Amino acid sequence: MFGALLVAGIVHGLIIGLAALAVTLVFGIARFPNAAAGDTMTAGAYAGLLAHQASGSLALAGGAAVAASGAVSLLGYLLVFRPLARRPVASLLVAAIGVAFVIRAVLGLIFGHQQQVFQVPLAWPIEFMGLRIPPMDLTLAAVAACALAAAFGVLHLTSIGRQMRAVADDPDLARVSGIRPLRVMVALWLLAGAAAGIAGLMLGVKTVVSPEMGWEGLLTAFAAAILGGIGSPAGAVLAGLLLGIAQEVSTPYVGFTYKIALAFVVMLAVLLVRPRGLLGRVEGVR
Amino acid sequence: MSLTRRLVLGAAAGTLAVPYVVRAQAETFRIGALNPITGAGSPYGTGMQRMIQAAVEAINSAGGVNGRRIEVFAEDTQTSPQAAVLAAKKLIEVNRVRAILGTWSSGVSLAVIPLTNEADILLMHTSGAPALSTPPANAKNLGYRYQATNDRFGRAFAEIAVREGFRRPATMAFNNASGIGNTDGFRRAWAAKGNQNGEHVVYEPNQPSYRAELLRVLSTRPDVIVMGSFLPDTTIILREWFQTGTPVKWIIPAWAANPQLVQALGPAVTNGIIAVDSVSNEGAEAFTAYDAAYRRAMNQPGASNVYAAMTWDMANTLALAIEQAKSFETAAINAAIRRVANPPGEAVSAFAAGKAAIAAGRKINYEGASSVLDFDEFGDVTPDFGVFFIENGQFNRRYVVKI
Repeated sequence: MFGALLVAGIVHGLIIGLAALAVTLVFGIARFPNAAAGDTMTAGAYAGLLAHQASGSLALAGGAAVAASGAVSLLGYLLVFRPLARRPVASLLVAAIGVAFVIRAVLGLIFGHQQQVFQVPLAWPIEFMGLRIPPMDLTLAAVAACALAAAFGVLHLTSIGRQMRAVADDPDLARVSGIRPLRVMVALWLLAGAAAGIAGLMLGVKTVVSPEMGWEGLLTAFAAAILGGIGSPAGAVLAGLLLGIAQEVSTPYVGFTYKIALAFVVMLAVLLVRPRGLLGRVEGVR
Repeated sequence: MSLTRRLVLGAAAGTLAVPYVVRAQAETFRIGALNPITGAGSPYGTGMQRMIQAAVEAINSAGGVNGRRIEVFAEDTQTSPQAAVLAAKKLIEVNRVRAILGTWSSGVSLAVIPLTNEADILLMHTSGAPALSTPPANAKNLGYRYQATNDRFGRAFAEIAVREGFRRPATMAFNNASGIGNTDGFRRAWAAKGNQNGEHVVYEPNQPSYRAELLRVLSTRPDVIVMGSFLPDTTIILREWFQTGTPVKWIIPAWAANPQLVQALGPAVTNGIIAVDSVSNEGAEAFTAYDAAYRRAMNQPGASNVYAAMTWDMANTLALAIEQAKSFETAAINAAIRRVANPPGEAVSAFAAGKAAIAAGRKINYEGASSVLDFDEFGDVTPDFGVFFIENGQFNRRYVVKI
């Protein structure tokens, strides 16, 4: 029982972690809480659904999800967040909520509000050391691992990733050092969108696709971003896993009604002991 | 002739000069169609709203009620109590509607009924929560339920479980008044038959996985799982259940076990599921009229949406009650509803016939498209229940259960 819950928790946690990665990247570099991240996920889920219906391939669906969410995310930046740059955080937050509404409404208009599902083959679980693991969970975990490896590869192994981290560290110093902010921001929004797209695809495959799915998962993603230390990509993923596992594994003790509350109790407890989050840094006030 | 500002102002002033009586004729009786266009109720909401509009169209072309046309203001509940409360406030305060028709889920109706009570107007809904029968929700007896209560659904589930020979039922409920109402109704009825109740799990909405909940229930080795659930969560739960490879039967309310569930999961997963729904009054004349209207508006058979038959009946009973009351006051209309819907009286199936009978001074009994529509002292009706077996993706109605 514990093992099965752990597996469910890890897959759940990877979805939260990817969504939190999208939130925390924007927070670290553009410096506002992007409330449109959830609906960017939804856009990815629908794009993946279309590609999957057309081709039957989960890999192609992943590609479509990444492309669509990246495009939606970049469009949001170019049309809304770029003109509003350097406005107060509250304006950007409200603008992001507006962008979220627009994405949801457009998806509802195009696809309708009825639920849709990925027609994936259902298979009996694989027995592994006494643990029964559904094959789809293994596939999804592999997809998430690849996506995370790619995201961290971009952040830590490429020049644009270095530039992004430099801007996150100190935007003015980065600019003085000759880093072109537009290029960095475009890369950031594409990367954040792609992470959200994969999260949306995973959530869609595991549950059902509807225009509201991403918005409903946004709160947990924010919680994970805060718990991980705002602006810390590794922290966001770690915190997502922690929240996912805590929710599932706690159910034999707290019951099913309170498992969501428990995730937030974990968050509060960690923040009381460690206000900067798991991997966050203390930031000076400018 | 070009439209100048002077001309428009002159025309407006002219309107004011028209005698009061003429302007009063343009006054309408305003009602709100507050339906789940989006969210979990979206498979039904659009049809429900169209049928309110279609019934009102028929009522207006039969001369309206007490000489006034009925005017419909349409809103979406999003199947969410928060959104529904905002929409209801708008309908009441801005549109000044005198009745709200067609709230679908219990959470929404429970959130809206305090507002309609406060405004002293009627609420006609299709929700199942038992709490909607009694105070505080129905303290003013202004709420009318056109669907069976969840408790009645639960009692029907228990009848079916006995008939199918199940011995060890477990229950799973979505954590809201409707879901828990179903399973509580079942557990009470099951215990009243001298049986032992099994494991009971209440689960939360919008979870990416229900494996923990399922494992808990399946570990008690039930022979049937009785659900109080909705479509999205049922889809996820059944898919995860199938992948555990554990054989078990399911009894599920038909708003969750519907053709979309089969479409989502395929015939293999859904084979043998017992779906239970209140059945429309399919032999009735009112149903024939409703069916024709539904086919015109939605291009689908009327039987595919039991809730639309209910909203059709809402508009008709309300209009007949106004006609009977010869008044537009809520108290008078409310007093007339049971008078036009319940026996004894001349059975009528359409507004025009009922209006004529009332004008002739006869007592009428509206026999609806959704049920015979006889309201008890709580404003509840008792429809019969159809028991559908899903076989190779088809919904085969095997028998009807009366409680």
